[in-house]
Amino acid sequence: MTVQTERPPSGPANVRKADDEGSGGPKQRAASRVGALAPYLLLLPACAATVLLLGWPLLKDLLLSFQNLNMTQLIQHVTEWNGVDNYKETLTSEHFWRVTLRSILFAAVNVALIMILGTLVGLLLARLGKRMRFTLLLGLVLAWAMPIVAATTVYKWLFAQRFGVVNWVLDKLGWHSMADYSWTSSQMSTFFVVTLLIVWGSIPFVAINLYAATTTIPKELYEAASLDGAGTWRSFTAVTMPFLRPFLYATTFLEIIWVFKAFVQVYTFNQGGPDRLTEILPVYAYVEGVGNQHYGMGAAIAVLTILIMLGLTAYYLRIVLKQGEDEL
Amino acid sequence: MKRSLFGRLWPNATAVVLFIGFVFPVYWMFSTAFKPAGDIITEDPVWFPTDFTFDHFKTATEADHFWSFVTNSLTVTVLAVVFSLIIALAGSFALARMRFKGRRGFVIGFMLAQMAPWEVMIIAMYMIVRDASMLNSLVPLTLFYMMMILPFTILTLRGFVAAVPKELEESAMVDGCTRSQAFRRVILPLLAPGLMSTSLFGFITAWNEFALVLVLNKDAEAQTLPVWLTSFQTVFGDDWGATMAASSLFAVPILILFVYLQRKAVSGLTAGAVKG
Amino acid sequence: MKRKLIAAIGIAGMMVSVAACGGDSGDDGKKAGADGYAGETLTVWVMDGSSPDDWQADLAKEFEAKTKAKVKFEIQTWNGIQQKLTTALSEENPPDVFEVGNTQTPAYAKTGGLADLTDLKAEIGKDWTESINESSVFEGKQYAAPWFVVNRVVVYNKKVWADAGITETPKTRDEFYDALKTIGEKTDAEPIYLPGQNWYHFVGLAIGEGAELVKKDGDKYVSNLDDPKIAAATETYKKFQSLSKAPQDKDEATPQQGEVFAKGNVGSFIGMGWEAATAIKANPKIEKDIGYFTIPGETAAKPEGVFLGGSNLAVAAGSKKQELAKEFLKIALSDKFEGQLAKANGVTPNKESLIGNLEGNPAAEAGSPAVASGGTTPLIPEWAAVENAPNPIKTYLTAVLKGKSPAEAAKQVEEEFNKRLSQQQ
Repeated sequence: MTVQTERPPSGPANVRKADDEGSGGPKQRAASRVGALAPYLLLLPACAATVLLLGWPLLKDLLLSFQNLNMTQLIQHVTEWNGVDNYKETLTSEHFWRVTLRSILFAAVNVALIMILGTLVGLLLARLGKRMRFTLLLGLVLAWAMPIVAATTVYKWLFAQRFGVVNWVLDKLGWHSMADYSWTSSQMSTFFVVTLLIVWGSIPFVAINLYAATTTIPKELYEAASLDGAGTWRSFTAVTMPFLRPFLYATTFLEIIWVFKAFVQVYTFNQGGPDRLTEILPVYAYVEGVGNQHYGMGAAIAVLTILIMLGLTAYYLRIVLKQGEDEL
Repeated sequence: MKRSLFGRLWPNATAVVLFIGFVFPVYWMFSTAFKPAGDIITEDPVWFPTDFTFDHFKTATEADHFWSFVTNSLTVTVLAVVFSLIIALAGSFALARMRFKGRRGFVIGFMLAQMAPWEVMIIAMYMIVRDASMLNSLVPLTLFYMMMILPFTILTLRGFVAAVPKELEESAMVDGCTRSQAFRRVILPLLAPGLMSTSLFGFITAWNEFALVLVLNKDAEAQTLPVWLTSFQTVFGDDWGATMAASSLFAVPILILFVYLQRKAVSGLTAGAVKG
Repeated sequence: MKRKLIAAIGIAGMMVSVAACGGDSGDDGKKAGADGYAGETLTVWVMDGSSPDDWQADLAKEFEAKTKAKVKFEIQTWNGIQQKLTTALSEENPPDVFEVGNTQTPAYAKTGGLADLTDLKAEIGKDWTESINESSVFEGKQYAAPWFVVNRVVVYNKKVWADAGITETPKTRDEFYDALKTIGEKTDAEPIYLPGQNWYHFVGLAIGEGAELVKKDGDKYVSNLDDPKIAAATETYKKFQSLSKAPQDKDEATPQQGEVFAKGNVGSFIGMGWEAATAIKANPKIEKDIGYFTIPGETAAKPEGVFLGGSNLAVAAGSKKQELAKEFLKIALSDKFEGQLAKANGVTPNKESLIGNLEGNPAAEAGSPAVASGGTTPLIPEWAAVENAPNPIKTYLTAVLKGKSPAEAAKQVEEEFNKRLSQQQ
């Protein structure tokens, strides 16, 4: 698995290709009209699926967000429009803004940890000897491959109040008050475990792909740099980083999306508890909408969640938008 | 360049620590699943079990409908991944190889589609499926799962398609192949590693999903393994042996698939890059 | 709406066909079944543990003999049941008959998802116990049939208590506490398994103090958790919970306390008779050690207040098998099966005349002295929303157990509690 970047991960190789395209282009353009339709035909199934399977639910959700839809209305199939009431109530509730702020902080901390640690592990992979690298790669792949539902269950067991191995270790390390500690009992401890779970599960993706990307950096670039008298750090900033930058942007974008949507981890670990203090936006939308059977309200929160996500990723989307057709 | 002993040692030492950190949860899952109950509920953890038991697996698989969950999960996941690969391959070929008006619009469209927070739209999806009288069926599940992984698949495959040297395709066409023949005979084999590694994401996403199944399919016969695993947990809350056995059973197919495909995929990716 | 119309026509048609076959009792009934219901299957949702397997099997047999139709029991868990039930009731094929908790019945009656059973009540429910039937009546109509009520008792492990040298079961709250303390000191067993969120027991304690959970503010219901009487109940809960190693942020069903008790090193728990059955199922060896006693109150004269939990059986308004569903209710609630259920599970049946079945059931005998001083949560449609996760009363309990004062904790959950009570329906 790899990451899509604005430039494909093979990097400079592609720059050369762009040139090829420049010379090969006109010939193609001379092709028949059917040829001109080809790309649209090839994209048709994907677009049809997106419109039908994503566009329709989105539209439905938008419509529901303007309705008073609770148990009664759902059961009796009645539509009760209530204008922007759901939005008004949500946007004026302090709880919603607290959850929003919390979600953003949560995403920021997780993404920062994932990207920094993931990059470091990826660079470490590049430095290791063959056998050690294989061992670490195996470990990373195992963690990466753990299905989230299973991983969350395992973390519950690791951090179980009674007989959990983490509490035992902390106790033995001299932290005796942790011997019978309930990790689900406070906001911070719950977030700590969930963050650990998410970071543990996400580092492999970043690390392995980053390692794969570094192997494509041409050796000549480093040789040239060292001829210019660049040290390790200088050649890292001058050669490695520029090469990896598009990859890092793209991965950060993906991680923001994935962490922001980390519904399963948060919900299965502690249902957003204790006292709703670890609810992030998707969990909040679920608890208010499905849990409290306030479906119209849930739909409004969902719409707002989508808007907030768009805001968070706007920077990256703008970079993509600014790029020329050729680079895209 | 000469490195000090410390300089050679620390990367390996860090790697060992990291390896333990990443593997331990997985190891603990399997070891708990095989340990007799007495070794699970102990004051001091049993790090390396010496007694093994299959009792927990028996408890886990004796749950009602277990085998229909397995069949359903496999069906839905495999179909969703295969469909999305087929659709994405066509789309990504267009995006990577062809120049046409609105290409950037499509790319951005798929990037946006990738952001869809599915969990929060569940009620909308439920009402659509309900009103179409498709509840308790695997069809909507397969379709929605396919859609959940489609944007990522398209965008990722686009990178792989672009990495296949265009010259190969062109020389095949010079040799008398049509464009679609060139695609089938030249590009597709080169894309195999890319297809495999892209499919991993699809497998793990579709295999994991449970919020939607729970709402769409109330009939146990139409439910999938994640539902079994999560409900199992509430029923057997502190029977960690059985819970870990269930988690192991759930994780094993994906673990095997990953270890198998990832090696090919990484080597394929690097090989492709070197050639490019 | 169209769907409802079609359903209504279907029902009307069915009624005609049933009527054409004559009465539905005795031999005639069999004939009606042969003509009307053969090949049909009635789906019935029951909650995990509330009816024994034997009862279901016997009932299915009798139902099939009478109507020629089959019945399919589907076992549900309390966790998330409202979400599941609400969506199910909106579907084309809802469960035909389902068990619904007495505290949740008014809300569902209000949604229009339950069929009107007023005529059934006239037919078979003249002698239903008034207080048990109360939760099924909404705006003068009967929306469910009372099935049973049950109150919690202390389930204890005789062996553990004997090991601690205790020979008599406690009669007052203080004696109970001292006995548990002794167990803690003299044995290595956990004296009582009481998770922090067994809110049913807490509601019982509040009822014992004469406290109300909600009060009226104008025409709205609002939280009454800041009542000093509630605080007193909370202190009692806290005192006993401190003797337990059970998690403070989990309820009695995660994990099932019966499963925990089954391991043999727990002295007691507060639960229902059938939870002991769960323990026996998990560990048959424990059966001989299980005993029951009434939860002791402040004085020996009056047992502790208890929550009269219970279940009703309702028919989905959208079910296409209304008549068959009613046939099912007639059999399930007949003296024979109602009696069998009472006997097996130790639950209070829906008729006074069947109380005799409880004789000899130790759990029921321990429970019955407390029934008179029992009560329920407010039987208002607004209540069901309170029980949705995260239930503010559970949050309140955990907050107190973690060290907040009852007043602080009441303040902490007030907003959420009031929001749910005033939630648009």
